[in-house]
Amino acid sequence: MSSFILSLLSPAVLSLDFWISVVLLVGIAGIFSLGIQLNAGSSGLLNVGHVGFMAIGAYTMAILVVDLGVNLWLAILAGIAVAVLTSLLIGLPSLRLRHDYFAIATIAFAEVVRLFAQNARGLTGGNQGKSGYDGAWRAIAEPMSAFFVDLGWTDSHLLPLAIVTWVIYLLTLAGVSYAVRTPWGRVLRAVREDEDAASALGKNVLSYKLQSLAIAAALAAVAGVIFALDIRFLVPEEFLPDFTFLAYAAVILGGLGSYAGVFVGTITIWVLLEVTRFLDLPISSDRIAAIRFILIGLVLIFLSMRKPEGLLGERREMVLRHD
Amino acid sequence: MTEQTGSAPILEVRDVVRSFDGLVAVDGASFTIERGTITALIGPNGAGKSTLFNVVTGFNPAEHGAVRFRGKAITGLPPHRISGLGLARTFQLTKVFNAMSVLDNLLVSAPDHPGEHLVNSFLRAPRVRRQERLIGDRARALLDTFSLADKHDEYAGELSGGQRKLLELARILMLGPDMVLLDEPMSGVNPTLGRQLLDHIHRLRKEEGTTFLFVEHDMDVVMQNADSVIVMAEGKVIARGLPEEIRRDPAVLEAYLGSASRRRKGSDG
Amino acid sequence: MTVLRSDKRLTDSPSILRGGHQLGPLIFFLLAMAVLVAVLVALRGPLPVAQTTINGLVTGAYFALGAAGLTLVFGILRLINFAHGDLLTFGAYIALATVYLGLPFWVAVIASVLITAATTLGFEAVIWDPLRRRGAGTLQMILTAIGLAFILRHGIQLIAGTNPQTLGVDVVSTFNVGPLTIGQTQAWVLIAGYLVLVLLGVMLRFSLLGKQLRALSDDLDLAEVTGIDSDRLILITQALSGGLAGLAGILFAASVGSITPNVGFFLLISLFSATILGGVGNAYGALVGGIALGLVQEWSTLVLDARWKTAIGFVVLVAMIIIRPTGLLGQKRLVDR
Repeated sequence: MSSFILSLLSPAVLSLDFWISVVLLVGIAGIFSLGIQLNAGSSGLLNVGHVGFMAIGAYTMAILVVDLGVNLWLAILAGIAVAVLTSLLIGLPSLRLRHDYFAIATIAFAEVVRLFAQNARGLTGGNQGKSGYDGAWRAIAEPMSAFFVDLGWTDSHLLPLAIVTWVIYLLTLAGVSYAVRTPWGRVLRAVREDEDAASALGKNVLSYKLQSLAIAAALAAVAGVIFALDIRFLVPEEFLPDFTFLAYAAVILGGLGSYAGVFVGTITIWVLLEVTRFLDLPISSDRIAAIRFILIGLVLIFLSMRKPEGLLGERREMVLRHD
Repeated sequence: MTEQTGSAPILEVRDVVRSFDGLVAVDGASFTIERGTITALIGPNGAGKSTLFNVVTGFNPAEHGAVRFRGKAITGLPPHRISGLGLARTFQLTKVFNAMSVLDNLLVSAPDHPGEHLVNSFLRAPRVRRQERLIGDRARALLDTFSLADKHDEYAGELSGGQRKLLELARILMLGPDMVLLDEPMSGVNPTLGRQLLDHIHRLRKEEGTTFLFVEHDMDVVMQNADSVIVMAEGKVIARGLPEEIRRDPAVLEAYLGSASRRRKGSDG
Repeated sequence: MTVLRSDKRLTDSPSILRGGHQLGPLIFFLLAMAVLVAVLVALRGPLPVAQTTINGLVTGAYFALGAAGLTLVFGILRLINFAHGDLLTFGAYIALATVYLGLPFWVAVIASVLITAATTLGFEAVIWDPLRRRGAGTLQMILTAIGLAFILRHGIQLIAGTNPQTLGVDVVSTFNVGPLTIGQTQAWVLIAGYLVLVLLGVMLRFSLLGKQLRALSDDLDLAEVTGIDSDRLILITQALSGGLAGLAGILFAASVGSITPNVGFFLLISLFSATILGGVGNAYGALVGGIALGLVQEWSTLVLDARWKTAIGFVVLVAMIIIRPTGLLGQKRLVDR
């Protein structure tokens, strides 16, 4: 069976470099999806515009470095800060709304960001793209790469980035799953369960929702910055709402509310996506891409309808949740 | 902050007006509540009792009028601020945090917990842990009092209706308020449980001096438990006094019978 | 059925049977539009304004049809359906397939409307109805809608590929009405689109079915309580919504010239915008909102570069959500406190 599957895939799948790039992408997606789990899973916030914060982080960093000559590391911090600020600006008016209105507001926001990136050509390079921001990163990555080559491993220039990414991912994963288990996290869950009751107990519901959104925005911005360093060439097309939807698929697959779950779910979804990119079938790559996304759609529907607790979630809890 | 003398009312409601979609739900209601009393709020359906509760506790803003709690103006404050000042409420449809454990429901109700600021959980962890232990003990004691101890790890959403009512009351106790507004605490509750709830209410009033205002339809409950009764009809307060006085008040009878006879006319016509 | 009770304000009161839609915001908006037109005429002269108004009315036609479908099912699904945009794409591609098979265009239109309606009924039976009976929450519904959107969009891509395709309608011929130039296809789209919109409006206003549909879309629980046969009506609403979406997709394809599998999704936000502008759950609102949005979008090209056109819809959406989430014709019910 496995040899049959392997025979469907092109040989590229078996190379180390391919897997390093997958590991890197999974790490980026992991940091990104963490924000969705915090929002939708722990706080009951239907943030469907998450990729917008990712784009803000990436583009702010790129613009600061390329157009204003800002130091890369400062630019990265600025990118995160701008994303967080934006989340507060968006959140203040829209977090009071019903869940589906909030969802629409967030997806509209993400599309505004993308359209802006597409049309404000002077600033963002539009569809022609923006590049040249990763000089400072290359300066430290190259020696690291050389080190690995000396060890006889690989010369993939992505290995240093993959390692850094996973350090960040594991730290943020630990941090967020800890935070959710603190008294602060308890209030967040109470707000998710019943806002009126939480208010009646003295909790400032809006404040907690804003905090959740802000932290998620920061995570998305971090993912965006790393992504920018990975692809080295920013185009608006990389920040379509589909990426947010994939994160939701990962969260649901792993189990809404479970941080071990989102870890597993992210790996599953993205490994599947990347490996199936190389299906050696006699049809065009467009159509292969379509099949991949149809599969994701089926997974989403199946999980939503039949198994909302996913792989590692709690069925009883899912049934009782108000969202 | 106004100085509260022992004789000043704990809650003052003055000329509150509130409408929805063009219909006036509360039409200039005024009353005061003295500290440490148990007051019943009665009236026919549609009298505006629940709306009044919402206005007093900040869930709906008043269009006119003022509410003072412990001498401080609370009109227009958001619900969480009013709760923080010591005025708590329950809801007509019992609201517990379904997908959280019974214990967590209680723990989250404890006021002024440093751990509820995220920064503290990282930078002041020992202080947070100490508070967790303290409120954990309080919570478990409360669970014993309410005979919910063996359910502490269950999801609150899986409790029976009666147990949820007890949990809601236990949460209020964790909060430790000065005054509690209870929205139909006896509805859907069997007599034994009802007796339990009332015992707790009387005990709290006696031991902590907690003031209670509750909406109730069961006249027996009102007669036996209330120090004082407020009657509302069509958005206004139409009577106020001791239970025996209210029972005989012609205006009150008119309000109840009047609405009943209107209903009868409607069904004939 | 109390899926979203916890979301509404504590002492929510039913609206539609009370009547009394506030006209104030609508009048204010119409005045604002009039002022806008006046300013644009002053800036650019009457002819460009008139020309872009024609374009705006064309865009408004398919916006209105799409938004009407969205708003009608809102009351049933309790959410704004993320998969709706892809129904437009679906309708356009069915028409494409019909034309490809050599059938005349009018057959394509009818086939597309019917098939899209039938497909929507299929989704209702297989997906929405079971979810609704199970009391599914908003998150589940939205994720299902997103999954459905994925499948629709990429299913179309699988079959038809990603290259832009055209319906083969004549987008070049024009004729003149006074100083104005109108495309032949534009004229056809305007006539067909507004005819259907007027029929829809009349049906909603005067027929029993229309009244029931309006009640259903505004408040499902209340409608059920007043004795409306909701099961039958739900099917009718879904079919109607799907049919309108199919038609909107064809009008879009005809007026824009070519389509790709993604067009519906990118229209979706504008449709959300039109729906929210008019007031979610309010069918007239969707019609007004769609036309208004189309006009504003096209007028914007008089002062902004055309590439910012679609951003207008998004800006309107964000503004509405902040200022008046219930829309021009909606009631103040949909906000949490």
